[in-house]
Amino acid sequence: MVYKKTAQTWHWAAPVAALSLGLAALASTTTVQAEQTLRIAMTASDIPLTTGQPDSGFEGYRFVGYTIYDALINWDMSSADEVSGLTPGLAESWEVDEDDQQVWHFHLREGVTFHDGSDWNADAAIWNLDKVYDEDSPQFDARQAGNVRGRIPSMDGYEKVDDYTISFTTSEPDAWFPYQLTFLLFSSPAQWEALDGDWDEFARQPSGTGPFKLTRLVPRERAVLEPFADYWDADRVPQVDRVELLPMPESSSRTSALLSDQVDWIESPAADAIARMESQGMTITSNPYPHTWPYQFSMLEGSPWRDINVRKAANLAVDREGLETLLGGLMVPAVGTVNPDHPWFGEPEFEISYDPDEARRLLAESGYGPDNPVEIKVLISTSGSGQMQPLAMNEYIQQTFSEVGIELEFEVMDWESLFPNWRRGADHETSLDAHATNITFGWLDPFAAFYRFMHSSMAPPNGFNWGYMDDPEYDRLLDEAKVTFDQEAQDALLAEFHARMVDDAAWLWVAHDVGPRAMNPRVQGFVQAQNWFQDLTPVYIEE
Amino acid sequence: MSLTLDGAQADAPVPAPVQGYWGAVFGRLRRDPVALVSGIVLLMILLAALFAPWLAPASPFQTSMLNRLQPIGSPGYPLGSDELGRDVLSRLIHGARLSLLIGVMPVINAFVIGSAIGIVAGFVGGRTNSVIMRVIDVFYAFPAVLLAVALAGALGAGLVNSLLSLTIVFIPPIARVAESVTTQVRSVDYIEAARASGARSLTIIRRHVLGNVLGPIFVYATSLISVSMILASGLSFLGLGARPPMPEWGLMLNTMRDAIYVNPWVAVLPGMMIFTVSICFNMLSDGLRSAMDVKL
Amino acid sequence: MPIYFLKRVLYVIPIALAVSFFCFSLVHLSPGDPMDAVVSPDAPSEVVAMVQRAYGFDRPLPEQYGRWVLRAVQGDLGLSAANGRAVTAEVFSALKNTLLLAFAASLIGFTLGCVFGTLAGYFQGSLLDRLVTGIAVGGVSVPHYWLGMLLVIIFSVELNWLPSSGAGPGSSSDWNVEWAYLRHLILPAVTLSVIPMGVVTRTVRAMVADILAHEFVEALRAKGLAERQVFRHVVKNVAPTALAVMGLQLGYLLGGSILVETVFSWPGTGLLLNNAIFQRDLPILQGTILVLALFFVMLNLIVDLAQARLDPRIQRG
Repeated sequence: MVYKKTAQTWHWAAPVAALSLGLAALASTTTVQAEQTLRIAMTASDIPLTTGQPDSGFEGYRFVGYTIYDALINWDMSSADEVSGLTPGLAESWEVDEDDQQVWHFHLREGVTFHDGSDWNADAAIWNLDKVYDEDSPQFDARQAGNVRGRIPSMDGYEKVDDYTISFTTSEPDAWFPYQLTFLLFSSPAQWEALDGDWDEFARQPSGTGPFKLTRLVPRERAVLEPFADYWDADRVPQVDRVELLPMPESSSRTSALLSDQVDWIESPAADAIARMESQGMTITSNPYPHTWPYQFSMLEGSPWRDINVRKAANLAVDREGLETLLGGLMVPAVGTVNPDHPWFGEPEFEISYDPDEARRLLAESGYGPDNPVEIKVLISTSGSGQMQPLAMNEYIQQTFSEVGIELEFEVMDWESLFPNWRRGADHETSLDAHATNITFGWLDPFAAFYRFMHSSMAPPNGFNWGYMDDPEYDRLLDEAKVTFDQEAQDALLAEFHARMVDDAAWLWVAHDVGPRAMNPRVQGFVQAQNWFQDLTPVYIEE
Repeated sequence: MSLTLDGAQADAPVPAPVQGYWGAVFGRLRRDPVALVSGIVLLMILLAALFAPWLAPASPFQTSMLNRLQPIGSPGYPLGSDELGRDVLSRLIHGARLSLLIGVMPVINAFVIGSAIGIVAGFVGGRTNSVIMRVIDVFYAFPAVLLAVALAGALGAGLVNSLLSLTIVFIPPIARVAESVTTQVRSVDYIEAARASGARSLTIIRRHVLGNVLGPIFVYATSLISVSMILASGLSFLGLGARPPMPEWGLMLNTMRDAIYVNPWVAVLPGMMIFTVSICFNMLSDGLRSAMDVKL
Repeated sequence: MPIYFLKRVLYVIPIALAVSFFCFSLVHLSPGDPMDAVVSPDAPSEVVAMVQRAYGFDRPLPEQYGRWVLRAVQGDLGLSAANGRAVTAEVFSALKNTLLLAFAASLIGFTLGCVFGTLAGYFQGSLLDRLVTGIAVGGVSVPHYWLGMLLVIIFSVELNWLPSSGAGPGSSSDWNVEWAYLRHLILPAVTLSVIPMGVVTRTVRAMVADILAHEFVEALRAKGLAERQVFRHVVKNVAPTALAVMGLQLGYLLGGSILVETVFSWPGTGLLLNNAIFQRDLPILQGTILVLALFFVMLNLIVDLAQARLDPRIQRG
């Protein structure tokens, strides 16, 4: 048997004691706290992969990615007031080659050590790139490769220039390449060697360069992080002594854990329970972040969405303010993929609001009416990373749609089925002839926000152009933005693109999430960045 | 019979059908107050399910965001409202349809299929019997809940799959009882006599066996309905059965779980219904058993 | 007698094989692609193919089954598709928690069931009997996931006395007989105990009533035998059956705890199974069901053998 019996102490006698104690001890419930321990309830059902490239989506990156590891370029999560930008991480600086826009040079930070004490340098960087790109290298890890490769679509090659310089080649000129590199995290080659090249063992005793080290991993139950005192950025040495990460996929469990003081911080509290938490003195934090909750349309033959009147009517038929009430105020109405105050929003003419009369008029213009409603089938999930409250929200949309004459039918899937369908496209059998899919996403960079959905080359199986959008003008604007290395000029092109998308009502935009978190008031110092990722280092516990 | 399906070791025959047998059974049932009350409650729930559209004060699908999570006794919401502002009373009434269907149907299906398998095995006997019963034994290696969840989980969520998996769960115990009862009947004199006189097997089964074995199997099957109700709603509770926005008690219990910090007493109502139906079926089945004088 | 024992023990082998075949084929009925759980959906196709080779999903099914059984016999149930960890370790560390819960529930259920059943049997027909019988029917009829919710509402939400989820402040591998951990066990164990409580109550009540109605008990009593001795006689006759019933109940609890574990987020096999279903983690699904079913088969065997030994008249099968 592989199973090793661990030498610990649980006894058959436990139930007896439970029974007798149970009667006596319905009184005291306070647990004694270790000092400066921050206990966080995550929404994942398991501890995300700790070897370097986490799974479990952005929550994995948030808690076991950017805590234990660094990327060449990190996210600047220090501000709550503006959308997070990029900041130097394991690279101090980088630039695109003057002559060849497909070559990038990265100058690595000197004097950085991994948790095990070994040095960070170009060899370590190349070793990590081989870890996910070179199937013949001994350290190649299929799981890490699977988790990260898709996030760096432009990567074509890499080489060491000198001990602290490496260069990358991209498959085509790509001004967004630096964003992609934020997903590549670096594990310690020395630690892997010391563990006889066993990634499973490495998962239990990982070593990165990040501000936290992992000191304990109990799969499915708990991960313990402790500060790395020698972290290269002295401003980001963690304030707490321990961070405990606990997977709790059920939102009612998280609520109860917070209220009964089993944890100090919960991710995604149930909107309905927020009043109760506040009444018990809990702090609710929220801040908009780059997130969009849309219906992505199928443009295939037979889809009602091919008619622009239907697309516009749908955007006018959703009572987004009512939805905001439903979510207890924990959303921002979406009138485009990005917020109106974002540089990429542009100046669309089509103004999205709640206007059922106009929606009915548009539908009538296309020959729809009370006796001839638009019939639309949408793929939705029961839950999922960033999906907010998909069932309640979709039912609400179904309701407001029916008032203008759009009949929604749902194919409800679990998240683990819906998500893979995204890349398979509207014509795949698993799409069940649906006309739209309801998957939320983060848009950290233009590729993630627009390109992978709207460029014709991203049709399945290459990308997430689920509905086979194929428009030469979209392609042209995106292609141009992608090779425009000047930031302002690039932003202008993206704004033009986005305005066109809104005027075209290319999607149904519904909401932006605000990433609510609920915390015990003793948790102090947390700055909720406008980002999917958050910095745990300034957080401290006030007794 | 709880979630255990035990008691499948049938050890006794078999009341001979007499004139007015069913009349006598009903007569005895009527004098059993517990069974009578259970029967009446079930009948009322059944009628409520049948006439749901006329009885329910509101639509079970009509959402109202302004009236979410109203407590019991709110104006317009006698039993409160759920997380989407739907009237819980109306959803409970409409929910009876689906919940009864997915709870009772598997047992009916399994009764038909399991009886057929068991009677054939018992009547034919010999090697065929052994083969059939050994296959049935394999299913006994799985606790009922595990088997149901495993099948529903493997087949994928959905009403049809949940019906299918529960049917598969209940076939083995019913087949076992049927086989055991049939084996005993088979050796009864007059059937031996009929066989000796050269009657065809099917004729014998139809004329002599069925009348004698169906009663006990039926009683046993009714005792499974309670388990089936709990399991069927349990699958929906896990997200493996009915799908939103269908009103179904197990699913309602699931979707209102997040509201237990806001509206706890409304959230438990669907479970109360499952409990009521389940306990009534159990007591009715007990009454039926003693009324029909079946020992299982 | 030894022949019966031998036959009964040997019969476990074909059953175990059939069970393993069932578990294996079960997950291949499923619509989901196991690959989806292993690689992110935006992974390039060469990564997909590579992971497929590593996991062996591309081999023909009979070969996959053959390898699976061979490895399973050696205690290797493969790797989880969702997190790459060894399934055996995952299943057994969860099984440990489920066993803890099931034993606690059995103990509560068995104790209460024996007390209730004996009282009801002794005072058959009395108000007490009817009350106890009512509780017992309630115990076997209650949807325990709902009862769990009810207890959470009362003891966690309203009174805030007991925690509603998890196994304790540390991880379950730190589990210890300490109040901090025990208080997490109370609600799920009580919830799960109502079924064995009901079943044991009914069994014990019927047997006690039956024995007391026997003429020889009347005769014993007439002879002036002390009530204590009558009681001892009752216990001696009821105990084997009650224990056998409880043994089987323990098995049912192992499989049946899935709903209760889900309600209380108890880190046992039920929660593992539930997560595996929703993550389409086929190796975990297969492994958990296999281990639980085999456990159940062995438990049945033990109960059968013990019963046959205690009472040679009942040789089941």
